[in-house]
Amino acid sequence: MNPSRWFIVALGAVFVFGELVLGISLFRIQVLNVAESRESQAIQTIRRVRVPGMRGRILDRNGRVLAECRPSRCIQCNLEEFQRRGAASNTVAAVDAAIDDLSRALGIQRQTSPREIERHLQTASAIPLVVWQDLDESTFARFCERSHEFPGFADHVSAERTYPFGTLAAHVLGYTGRGDPEGFENDPVYFSEKEMKGRDGVESYYNRFLSGVTGEKRVRVDARGFRPTRARQNLMDDAGDGDVAPANGLDLTLTLDIRIQASLERELEGVTGAGVVLDPRDGAVLALASAPTFNPNECVPTLTHAVYASLTNAPAKRGQNRAISEGYAPGSTFKPITALAGLATAWMPEDEYNCQGVYRLGDLRLHCWDRYGHGSLNLSEAIEQSCNSFFCNLGTAVGSNAVITAARSFGLGSRTGIDIGGEYSGVVPDDEWKFRWYNEHWYPGDTCQMCIGQGMLLVTPLQMAVVAATLANGGRVYRPYLYARKEGAHTASVVRRIPYEADAIELVRKSMKAVVDTGTGRAILVRTETEDGRRRRFRLKVDCAGKTGTAEIGRGETKRKNTWIIAFAPYEQPTVAIAMLVERGESGGKTVAPRVHKVLASIFGEEEVTGIRPAAHYYEGRD
Amino acid sequence: MIATFLSKIKRTDWVLTVCMTCLIAIGTAFIWSAGSARQIAAIQNIWHVHAYTAAFGFIVYFALASIDYRKLLDFAAIPAYAGALVLLVAVLKFGAEVYGGRRWLWFFQPSELAKIAVIVFIAYLAGREGRRSFKWFLATGAAFAVPALLILTEPDLGTALVLAPAVMVMLFVARVWTKGLVALLLVALLAAGLVLGTVYVAERQNDEARKEQLYSRLPLREHQIKRLRVFLFPERDLRGAGYNQHQALISIGSGSVWGKGLRKGELKALGYLPQSVSMNDFIFAVVAEESGFMGNLLLLTLYLGVLLPSLRIAFKSTDERGRLIATGVATLIFCHVYINIAMSIGLMPITGLPLPFISAGRTFLIVVMASLGLVQSVAVHNEEIAET
Repeated sequence: MNPSRWFIVALGAVFVFGELVLGISLFRIQVLNVAESRESQAIQTIRRVRVPGMRGRILDRNGRVLAECRPSRCIQCNLEEFQRRGAASNTVAAVDAAIDDLSRALGIQRQTSPREIERHLQTASAIPLVVWQDLDESTFARFCERSHEFPGFADHVSAERTYPFGTLAAHVLGYTGRGDPEGFENDPVYFSEKEMKGRDGVESYYNRFLSGVTGEKRVRVDARGFRPTRARQNLMDDAGDGDVAPANGLDLTLTLDIRIQASLERELEGVTGAGVVLDPRDGAVLALASAPTFNPNECVPTLTHAVYASLTNAPAKRGQNRAISEGYAPGSTFKPITALAGLATAWMPEDEYNCQGVYRLGDLRLHCWDRYGHGSLNLSEAIEQSCNSFFCNLGTAVGSNAVITAARSFGLGSRTGIDIGGEYSGVVPDDEWKFRWYNEHWYPGDTCQMCIGQGMLLVTPLQMAVVAATLANGGRVYRPYLYARKEGAHTASVVRRIPYEADAIELVRKSMKAVVDTGTGRAILVRTETEDGRRRRFRLKVDCAGKTGTAEIGRGETKRKNTWIIAFAPYEQPTVAIAMLVERGESGGKTVAPRVHKVLASIFGEEEVTGIRPAAHYYEGRD
Repeated sequence: MIATFLSKIKRTDWVLTVCMTCLIAIGTAFIWSAGSARQIAAIQNIWHVHAYTAAFGFIVYFALASIDYRKLLDFAAIPAYAGALVLLVAVLKFGAEVYGGRRWLWFFQPSELAKIAVIVFIAYLAGREGRRSFKWFLATGAAFAVPALLILTEPDLGTALVLAPAVMVMLFVARVWTKGLVALLLVALLAAGLVLGTVYVAERQNDEARKEQLYSRLPLREHQIKRLRVFLFPERDLRGAGYNQHQALISIGSGSVWGKGLRKGELKALGYLPQSVSMNDFIFAVVAEESGFMGNLLLLTLYLGVLLPSLRIAFKSTDERGRLIATGVATLIFCHVYINIAMSIGLMPITGLPLPFISAGRTFLIVVMASLGLVQSVAVHNEEIAET
């Protein structure tokens, strides 16, 4: 064999060897290191999209639906169908023109601006853009019939929050808005639609509970970041490996009773004020209202600037939950606490004080509301008649610390811990506090002011409801709560017991009963109606106890009165405790007591009575 | 006459024909697959063009197989060579500029034609007297160098790179100045090593000025230096110069053992593997993604099924010119296959070379089929010599 033949054989060997090298390399890449390539591929082609679960409903204690999701009919645009060559603005223009066409064809206003299209293209081109939401049924039906004429657009039904009772319990429920989920802003491979999110009230406090567990869907994207068009998708296997189905949110059953809530709101209509009804046996919130109020349906799907302004503008501040977030001087409704402070230290139940219409302390002169004086009265009578001089004297006698301790033992000056946000702690002032804020030390006059619920003392209506509930149940301070957990896992939690003897508490309760029977709060128990010149009287079917309060604030022109009632019923075994406040009222007995009567009547009923005449001590309208 | 034609066709190497046909069929299928990712109908239908070209190629293939290559050499070698030179000059002057090079004249690439013209011309020269002389060697060298320089000017480094080994192998087979050739080979390898080494050293420099200085000494264009850099440091520029190769590697790797199925390759369909190269220089990535390692083994086997029969024909050929044509063509095809696949998997720097039979490209498909037709002619007519 000649050398060139040898060379040809060698050449054949080189060819085989060369292909062997390629084969081995391919084996390494395609068999040994597959995982590496697969991972690189997934990183660049797979995008995770968040899929929210259906938001849970909110129910009252009897299962009435206060908030739920309704279908919202949407049209969405699959941007990948409108891809244009060149600059991104070409694609924006194409989508924009298509939306214009569709809006003409359906006769509806556009909801999406070119800016939004551009933003969506930049940040979320892999998921469809919702171009119309919440369409009415007939427009939506017209679109669905003709959708084949509008390639690139698709019908889509999403969920929207709705509040069937409108304004009812608005401040408790709050509302939902839509926003980007938090914590994923910097993760470009994690897309999401705007997700429903609680903004206030229990919607916000129990947001995680209501919104369920967000799932995850995987979509493929092409080199330009778009979802492949349907034609291309059909070529490929499903990208769905690793999808996680979302878990729907849970239903939230509240302790509210919508009958009580509705009657409370009815009584607050037209005034500025707030009211809270608690179950004194465990702190459950039966009703909580603030007026003026708002309709949470105005706030969904998104809160517009106009609506936001109308919620926050002074003086109405419709969005503010006055029941928990505003501090007021409690006025005379504070006196039961002063009384307990007295009884616990030096004051005996039978100790008397002679009210002469004015209380003098050094240069200070404090007038009692009865300028001729109540005369000589004991503690029980002083509560019944709400004598200012008596309590100024008592407070001066026992000292400010006893009163401050008493107030704090009821939970005043700190948040009650109710399960909605925005609660104000209120103020129970002391020497240190005063010095910090006013750069002045505590004067005996401050003690006097505090004993009659005035001065620097600030409480929320909810706190006063807790005070009423605590007096009602004999001294247990409960944390008020809105979320009624299942039987057995009871949430009732006693925060503390007030450190007073049962006898003392019983004395105060008895005095509070006298307030409604014969004292300043008679209108809580009995409603008088004049019909054809004939007076008819309606009495609650149960006995109750309460305390009126009228706090004077401001001076001169801005002088006004905030009027209060705290009450509980039935007297023997209370199941309801209530606190109600009306701003700029006349007096607790005149302005608030009839309203509280109606709320209690809606719970316990009332009956017409005859033969009750105004008692000798008839202080209606005064405290 | 037809009887003679048929009897000649009967004597061709059938393994070669079958393997070549299979490769063309595979190529058509994957051009169809690569085109399906595009929206333009003309590109989606490029596979038709490939099929038509192949049909025409078969006519050329069998026609050349039935013609005595020795007569053809005497008759056509000089005109073909001269024509190729004219076209190479014409393309530099009138060619359309595509991707920074002038390679296209009307509908074909003259540099592809030049490949076969050079091989044929050198085989023709080998048949002339005095070929052991150094003068003959210089003449052969010039016959290669002139078109090679024209091709380099286009620039088409790839074509020059595959033509050089083919010519060198032919000279080895002709046993002309073997020692000199070995020396030349060593010098070429040394030069390649030096260039690569310089790029490596330059890239390890932190000093920009020094880097510039090193690069200025290399006789390479900027994009060529970039390709060498990507080859040496693939992870440095995955979004720029290294993008295609990186995506090709992901495509190939994600194909795994059995592939994703015809038309189901995602990187190609989603445009990560650029559509401009997916049916040409990087079509191997599409094949590998969709047919997997097993498909690639079949592909490599089919290529051996073309290459080894060609070498067998050369081995059996009693005629020197026939032997030269067969080895030259086989080497040319091998270089194309090896460089293209090695480039796709990162074993070699990026070079724009088509994968024979698979890549879309009319000129090259016809040229390769015609070359193999000549090889078959060698097979057919050598036996004739043996008979007479």
